[in-house]
Amino acid sequence: MLNLQSLTVGYRNTRGAVLSGIDLSAVPGDFICILGRNGSGKSTLMRTIAGLQAALGGMALLDGEDIASMRPATRARRIAVVLTERQFNPGLRVDDVIALARQPFTGWQGGLADDDRAAIADAVEVTGVEPFLRRFFSDLSDGERQRVMIARALAQTPHLMILDEITAFLDLPSRVEIMALLRDQARQEEQIVLLSSHDLDLSLQLADSVWLLDDAGGFSVGTPDQLSHSGALGGAFDSGAIRFSPERGRFEIAASGVGCRREA
Amino acid sequence: MSARVSTSVAVLIAALAALALLTLTYGQVALPLADTLGALTGTQSTDLARQIVLDIRLPRVAAAIIAGGALGMAGVLMQALFRNPVADAWSLGLLAGGQLGVALTVTAAAFAGPAAVSFLTLFEGPSITLAAAAGVAVAALAMLALGRRVGAITLLVIGLMLGFTSQGLTSVLLHFAARAGGRIYGGWQDASFAGVAPEALLWLSLPILLGACAAVATAKSLSSLLLGETYARSLGVKVTALRHAVLAATVLLVAPVVAFCGPVSFVGLIAPHFARALAGTARILALLPLAALGGALLALTGDAIIHAPWEQHFLHLNAILAIVGAPVVILILIFSPAVRQWR
Repeated sequence: MLNLQSLTVGYRNTRGAVLSGIDLSAVPGDFICILGRNGSGKSTLMRTIAGLQAALGGMALLDGEDIASMRPATRARRIAVVLTERQFNPGLRVDDVIALARQPFTGWQGGLADDDRAAIADAVEVTGVEPFLRRFFSDLSDGERQRVMIARALAQTPHLMILDEITAFLDLPSRVEIMALLRDQARQEEQIVLLSSHDLDLSLQLADSVWLLDDAGGFSVGTPDQLSHSGALGGAFDSGAIRFSPERGRFEIAASGVGCRREA
Repeated sequence: MSARVSTSVAVLIAALAALALLTLTYGQVALPLADTLGALTGTQSTDLARQIVLDIRLPRVAAAIIAGGALGMAGVLMQALFRNPVADAWSLGLLAGGQLGVALTVTAAAFAGPAAVSFLTLFEGPSITLAAAAGVAVAALAMLALGRRVGAITLLVIGLMLGFTSQGLTSVLLHFAARAGGRIYGGWQDASFAGVAPEALLWLSLPILLGACAAVATAKSLSSLLLGETYARSLGVKVTALRHAVLAATVLLVAPVVAFCGPVSFVGLIAPHFARALAGTARILALLPLAALGGALLALTGDAIIHAPWEQHFLHLNAILAIVGAPVVILILIFSPAVRQWR
């Protein structure tokens, strides 16, 4: 169970608070999509919940414990992240990358026990990364890397998975496949999956709940249906060029799109 | 430890023992293998053979093995910490920094007067090791600060240039020190294992042993850091504390090598790649023993070649290491996908 209690996220510099006073909760099995335009604070919110960045106020609780004050090792057993960061070391093979997910569970040597191997094998099977286990991570395509990182997060057997814009480099079939995989994972393993995405259509079709961030620091939460009919989606994304159509449940090019406007 | 790693370790230990034994048999005087073994075990041997093997050749061979092993392990640590496949104590200027530290200390003593010089000479082992450690630490901190700003190859070039600068300064300083206070630590600017006296072996190996323990202790967390800083934190690693620990281990491993053997090039750069190829993994704990043995083997090979019974002793250790090492570095720069990504 994830509870956000008047959580305020942002930076202790001139940028200041990005989102303020968020009160929310999510239960195991929830597949949640965080939507918002670039710069609306999605990554900041996710990093704060993951305990990678200090909150400016309030707190985030996982299973009743404050995430920020958890011991790093405890936190690592419960929360797994997949980020856009791609600064990897040379010489890492795919099986190394996935096995590193078990480090919070192993002894000082990092040797794998039977349950570690089982968790890794499950993650490999679910994500279908078996064919490139022995390849160098740096030799993989973007889509393959993303799959490997998801396999790594699954192998960490977390209570909460946080994935930041993981579908950005993928083609449509792969995006559908990965989002569906994560939703099934949430259901079957009773995990909370928190995923930020620019993929509006897909997110609205798959999410149990959507956290919607607009540019002005506003925050709305609801099921995809609720948000589309309340007009919140339109409020967050409509511009001169596109607008949200509640009837069709998707975005459309505005009739007088900027691209084809003519001098009268 | 996987079967692949333990098999490789066993094979490398056997190769190292064979090479060490071979190296002990030749030099100015050739000794039959039986006499060499006899001298080593203390059975059936002449006093002369025992003296040659135990007092002259064994310290040199031991120094090559210990120093080569230390540089190999330090290379593994540095390549992981700097996230750079061409990082090592030599290429990033740590060895030259250590030399400069010693040169500064010696010069200061020389100008301070004979009392300071005799104090330094009396505690030669610990004092030059400490001076080298200070120089290595300063160089390492500088490179770590730079490493966050520039790419892998830029860092390599800067490290080499800073190394040249430090060595130039060292040379100039020692020249003035020699004029002011007599020659102390002369002839040490080139790498060699032959200058390590039997009593210096303790000061060479003690810090290295501590450094090896520290390296093993940090190995698990350092493996997580291979994924980058944020992922390491998400896996429960305290990254700043880890950086300091790895840096301390590196200084402990490298400083005694600088102090007693000089700037041994290429060993620490190549040994980790050799270890990764053998281990088939980048996990630090698996790489450490392989890189230590590989580094020891490479250093001892260089030493064995220059001490082969040539007409005259004109070969330098670093010349041999460069002939072996530089082409390997060129191949890494051209073919390593990791480097391509960073160029």
